[in-house]
Amino acid sequence: MTTDIGKITVDYVKTIGMTSNSPTGRGFANPVDLAITSDGRILVINRGAYEFSRITVCNLEEDFLGEIGSNGAGDGQFTLPTSITVDSKDNIYVADEYLNRVTVFDTTGNFLTKWGTRGIEAGDLSGPSGLAIDGEDNLYLVDQRNNRVQKFTTDGNLLCNWGESGNGPGQLDQPWGICIDSSGDVLVADWRNDRIQKFSPDGKPIMQFGESGSLAGQLRRPSDVAVTDDQYIIVSDWGNERVQVFDPDGQFELLLQGQATLSKWADDFFAANPDEAKVRAIANLEPDLPDHLQTPYHIAAQTEPYFWGPTSVNIDSDRHLYVTESARHRFQVYSF
Amino acid sequence: MSDDLRLMAHLLRRAGFGATRTELEEYMDKGYDATVEELLDPPTRSSMPDDVIFRYHVDIHESRFGPSAAANWVYRMISTNAPLEEKLALFWHGIFATGYTKTNQAPSILNQIEMFRRHGSGKFETLLLALSKDPAMLIWLDNQDNQKGAINENYGRELLELFSMGVGNYTEDDIKDASRAFTGWTIGNAEYMSMRAMKDSIWPYGRITWHYGYRPEDHDADTKTFLNQSGDFYGEQVIELIGDNPATANFVARHMYDFFVADEVPVPQWPYTPPRDPEAIKIMTDAYFENDHEIKAMLRTVFKSDFFKSESVRYGRVKGPAELIVSAIRTSGDFQEPSLDIIKICNVSDFMGQSLLSPPSVEGWHEGTEWINSGSLVERVNFIANQLGDVSKPGIRDIITRLAGEDGGHLKPEQLVDGCLDLLGPLDVSDETRQSLISYVARDGSLSLKNHVEGDEAESRVGGLLSIIGATREYQLN
Repeated sequence: MTTDIGKITVDYVKTIGMTSNSPTGRGFANPVDLAITSDGRILVINRGAYEFSRITVCNLEEDFLGEIGSNGAGDGQFTLPTSITVDSKDNIYVADEYLNRVTVFDTTGNFLTKWGTRGIEAGDLSGPSGLAIDGEDNLYLVDQRNNRVQKFTTDGNLLCNWGESGNGPGQLDQPWGICIDSSGDVLVADWRNDRIQKFSPDGKPIMQFGESGSLAGQLRRPSDVAVTDDQYIIVSDWGNERVQVFDPDGQFELLLQGQATLSKWADDFFAANPDEAKVRAIANLEPDLPDHLQTPYHIAAQTEPYFWGPTSVNIDSDRHLYVTESARHRFQVYSF
Repeated sequence: MSDDLRLMAHLLRRAGFGATRTELEEYMDKGYDATVEELLDPPTRSSMPDDVIFRYHVDIHESRFGPSAAANWVYRMISTNAPLEEKLALFWHGIFATGYTKTNQAPSILNQIEMFRRHGSGKFETLLLALSKDPAMLIWLDNQDNQKGAINENYGRELLELFSMGVGNYTEDDIKDASRAFTGWTIGNAEYMSMRAMKDSIWPYGRITWHYGYRPEDHDADTKTFLNQSGDFYGEQVIELIGDNPATANFVARHMYDFFVADEVPVPQWPYTPPRDPEAIKIMTDAYFENDHEIKAMLRTVFKSDFFKSESVRYGRVKGPAELIVSAIRTSGDFQEPSLDIIKICNVSDFMGQSLLSPPSVEGWHEGTEWINSGSLVERVNFIANQLGDVSKPGIRDIITRLAGEDGGHLKPEQLVDGCLDLLGPLDVSDETRQSLISYVARDGSLSLKNHVEGDEAESRVGGLLSIIGATREYQLN
């Protein structure tokens, strides 16, 4: 289906993933973010309720390619991972808000190092969330509970930081996701302020947009942001269980509700469980719900094709949009 | 300690999960009757926001499994400023017991708890109707299989026996025709959802929460006879007849007395054992009929009654595990923000005998003294010791600060014991218990909290005493 309301067109491509109910193996366990390497591997970071956190490696063809890391607090392990990104050499960086650190792997998954100290001083971390790397391999980290953005070298040396608690320009309230646009400017999902803020690379506020609500163009707890080459801004409107696209000035363009179909892995499941496939075939997975369930959360929880927990948005060089859904253990792929 | 303060503490233990001294002082400023009204009609409702919980706990957001959904509720009970709403939800959860073990649908059971918040204090028939359309209940008692020509009596039977009138107040024919009235009441996509429940399937994309669905082709529209009335009854008409029946008022009143006033004998003994306080039951049933079957009016009558305020019923209930845990955490001030430890809290409740959202059967839990056995008592005492003995927790720090304010921070053993008992309740204990506590403290002499710092020896002694008070018989009671 093509979604074409404004000046940008978005087409659904496919869904990748399936629930994993174990600490290893094919499938996702509450995935919260993904990164795409230069050779087309998709690295999905599973926050992993029930101690299932790990990186799952797959590709756009839905091949399961393996795993990196595991649950725990040791080297190369994660407890509550929040974000994943790669640098120009495809080295892998994972933020962990429980361990207050960034873990670094080489592109094949070998543990390289970890850095980060819990605290409130410059360079300290308190609930690290979003990660983004710019064209010069500087790493921007959203320091959630310190309400700031910190810019590091990839080995953890602080370059600068900005932000403080509040709702004024440049202030932040438990920020989450982050991205760098083609100009090097920094966009932050200012989560509890229900807005997106844009900063210069050294932290000067440039623009903000968004207001609290559920109407088109309004936001409720945005979790992540991505920017296309032509400066369209894509926001995972987490609290509204949807994705919205804004023009370069922050004006609303279109919204996506989600339209997941069966992934290859899901097809495999139903091939092995024809009894479930049979009764699923007569089910209406987009039902009309009673009034007391007409909230984004309940609609998402009862409507399998829709986004549920759209935690991150990422784009690749082939103009694909990836929407990672933590509560549905999958990501939906769109082209634009 | 003043009698008024003791009475207010009694009210908050029953209509809530206890109260800190700061909260008690605020309630005392308002007065008893005004506090009752505020508990019944909270002017505001606040608790730890779902978005904050869901961001941290992806498992609670999804509620794939029971403990995660239970943790969601525990957060609410710990942090709410409308405690009676949660206490009432806990009350109904124990009566309309719906469990994870068969449904494999924690999100839908959690939605049932939310339904109890919406309807739990309103007209009883409204609550019963919502219950009869509740998806988790429908699957729990097999009503998706209740169809014209193939009657499944499971829901109809429990509606009368366990949810409204009680054994001995209806006939087997009433059960049959009540069940016929609920034919066709099912959930959306019943075939698919039933199979997923049966197989505990979480594939391909996690749980799909349930919603009510009606299938007219499965409804038996023929005439039914129920409680000596005949008509083309649907479930709504059956529920109206139930609500008008004196047995229902009596049944609800006795449950309410058991939960909010004093432990009764177990429900299966009710047909053979008179109520502990028949006059109180009469007052409550009168309130039911005089107020259009409104639960809130019954509660108002209870909390303002002499039988509720009587010394004879104070500490007349064994705290259930959830009550014990939540009250201790509200005292200690733990969990001011999300923590992975919340799942451990739910596990502790399991070990004490109460798995929230997963009662052992449709009969709910056997309460009162049956909460206590050698294993559960150890769990209860250890949990309380960990909460009350941790002087770093904000609620315990407040207690220490208040103690330090007395007598310049120099406390004789009697003063320290009386001060801690006062600030933990006020908690009334027997003379024997009080003397034992004083003897324990006296081994190390008087206590000086002058210039105390967090975790020093003096504070540790306070923490130790609070832990021991938590192990007393009196603290285990409500």
